[in-house]
Amino acid sequence: MKRIILITACLGLLAGPARAGIDWESKGMQIAGEILANPAAFLYEFQQDLEATTPLPPGKRFGFQTGLWGGALPTIGAMPSLSGKYRLHGEGRIAPGLPQLDIMGGYWNSPLAGMAADQSNDIKDAKFNGHYYGFLLSSSVSPRVRTFWGFKKSQLKAKISFAPTANVKLLGTPVRSIDTGFDDEFFVVGLESPKGLDKLWSIQLNYGIDTQTIASKVSWYGKYFELGLNIYPEGVFVVHPVWNFHLNF
Amino acid sequence: MKKLTLILAITAGLAGGGAGPMAGRLSAATAESSRIFTPFFDMTLSENGYLPSKGNLFSGGHINTQVGLLAKVTEKDQVFGLYNFNYGGPGFAPQDTRQFTDRSLTHGFNFEYRRKLGERFRVRPGVSLSMDYTRSGANEAWDQGLYNTESKGFQLAVDYNFDFARNGFLTAQFLTRDIEFPNYTDLFQEFMNAGAASELSGGQQDQRLTQVSLRPNWNKFFGGVTLTTQKYKTQRVVSATGAYANEKQKDTSTALDFGFHHRLWIFELYPVISYTVRDSNQNYMRYKTIGATGLATNPSGDIYFMADNYSFNELAFVAPVDLNLTGKWAVGGAMSVVKRNYDSRLRRDARNNYIPGEKQENTMTTLTGSIRKRINDVALVRLAYSLVVAGSNNKFEQYMPYNYTGNSFGISYQLSY
Repeated sequence: MKRIILITACLGLLAGPARAGIDWESKGMQIAGEILANPAAFLYEFQQDLEATTPLPPGKRFGFQTGLWGGALPTIGAMPSLSGKYRLHGEGRIAPGLPQLDIMGGYWNSPLAGMAADQSNDIKDAKFNGHYYGFLLSSSVSPRVRTFWGFKKSQLKAKISFAPTANVKLLGTPVRSIDTGFDDEFFVVGLESPKGLDKLWSIQLNYGIDTQTIASKVSWYGKYFELGLNIYPEGVFVVHPVWNFHLNF
Repeated sequence: MKKLTLILAITAGLAGGGAGPMAGRLSAATAESSRIFTPFFDMTLSENGYLPSKGNLFSGGHINTQVGLLAKVTEKDQVFGLYNFNYGGPGFAPQDTRQFTDRSLTHGFNFEYRRKLGERFRVRPGVSLSMDYTRSGANEAWDQGLYNTESKGFQLAVDYNFDFARNGFLTAQFLTRDIEFPNYTDLFQEFMNAGAASELSGGQQDQRLTQVSLRPNWNKFFGGVTLTTQKYKTQRVVSATGAYANEKQKDTSTALDFGFHHRLWIFELYPVISYTVRDSNQNYMRYKTIGATGLATNPSGDIYFMADNYSFNELAFVAPVDLNLTGKWAVGGAMSVVKRNYDSRLRRDARNNYIPGEKQENTMTTLTGSIRKRINDVALVRLAYSLVVAGSNNKFEQYMPYNYTGNSFGISYQLSY
């Protein structure tokens, strides 16, 4: 520990010559601009936080998951979700070496959209929901390593219809409704390794074929909870801490 | 110079025997004797925050994922297929290479047939296909990047194993790539012929790249010599009169490198040193303003011809050391220096005037401290801090910073099987 403190102190001294300042206002403007440029892609990052894209543990036939926290949002309240996985084929059951095959899918619907419509005279109707489905193949390459790869199709919808009496303008133009969404097909590839009894560690890449969306997930999970660090390198908030609850049977 | 970095990354990435960091991992994909199919997986993921002395705080990540399958057809014949996904986000980079905010995305496919010839020789013919996308900000479309490329070609490598006990082998390789730049237009040519029909349709940097390398490895020491030639199909050389000459652009690069990866007690060292000589026949016409007229012989003139603008020699040295405190934990330090001296290009002052008799020189030094934790046999995580000091005698920094200091903090994961 002494050595670590010493090295940290040395690094602190080295940092001295690096004169730099942060312009938070300009950074905020940049972030706002990126959200406005593609709001659906920004919102979809939160959907990816709650998507269950790791394979079922060996020996389990089906499982459920719900998102508790994603990025800066308590997804359990803001985007309540239910995901499911079902094992169609256990690894090596039909023939030696044939990988495990899971199908997966999930749906979420935000109550915030309905609340906004109820409480605002300007908003006539609002919808904010999404779903995904796909499959995962997983194959053990050693007693301690399992690789997985697969496909998922994801869709997100965000729609707001304004009341005829509402005077909503965007850059001077009257707006009656905003209808945006995200729809893409992804390939998923990753590797899973045990950390202890009923504890697993995985790293995976999700790549959107049409939109070239990039997401990588690093996850630690046990019997009930998954802790993750989702990284969206081209996203607005690059790092999303994630907390999900799951049960596998 | 962005092109040079891009192309060298392509060739290093896709060449099994290349000098790039991926090369070592590719050669690690060896078949286990009892298996017909052996998968190969490697993923590194890093995310950093950057704070430069010029410019604002930004973040950037890097993802490299390789998924491969090695099939043992017979005792002597193997087939290896590899898909490589690489994303390089914003970050600090040596001067004259890329801007902080640039990002790139690569999909690479490589197929290789491996045939043993006797006890000591192995031949590895292969084909490769690669698509590269670049953009300078998240609000641009990947498909429209100026430096996007599509590359295809083949390679032939021969390995000679001269020391079985200490894993000594010598690899000779020849590779060729046809590289197309579908979006690249020549702004200079468009500017010189300003008019409704002057816009070019792309492809101005299309080229054929050939590379020959000889690389010995022995007892975890490695090195090699790599000769690279880029012949441009349409791009011609700018002449001293300001017009294009008939001569087409041709760039050659000769690189020597040496390194090792050894453990000494609790110390783990893996330094690499390389020296590159780059020679290009392309010149540069410097316009101070769009409306400038009159070719000047005075380096301070509004229009000035800089001959041999892109030839340089570059010394790069990186010396990482890890102190393995326990089986799981290690602290590390690294020093990296990249020093580039141009053969003919003069340095510029802050007002874009060339300074006669003073050649441009760039240096970038990076000091890194890190803490590494090995999660298990196949995974590790690293927290790192880096201090970057970039210096150059070129003081014209309107488009790209040459003199700055910067801090970066980051986390990285690596999972490899």
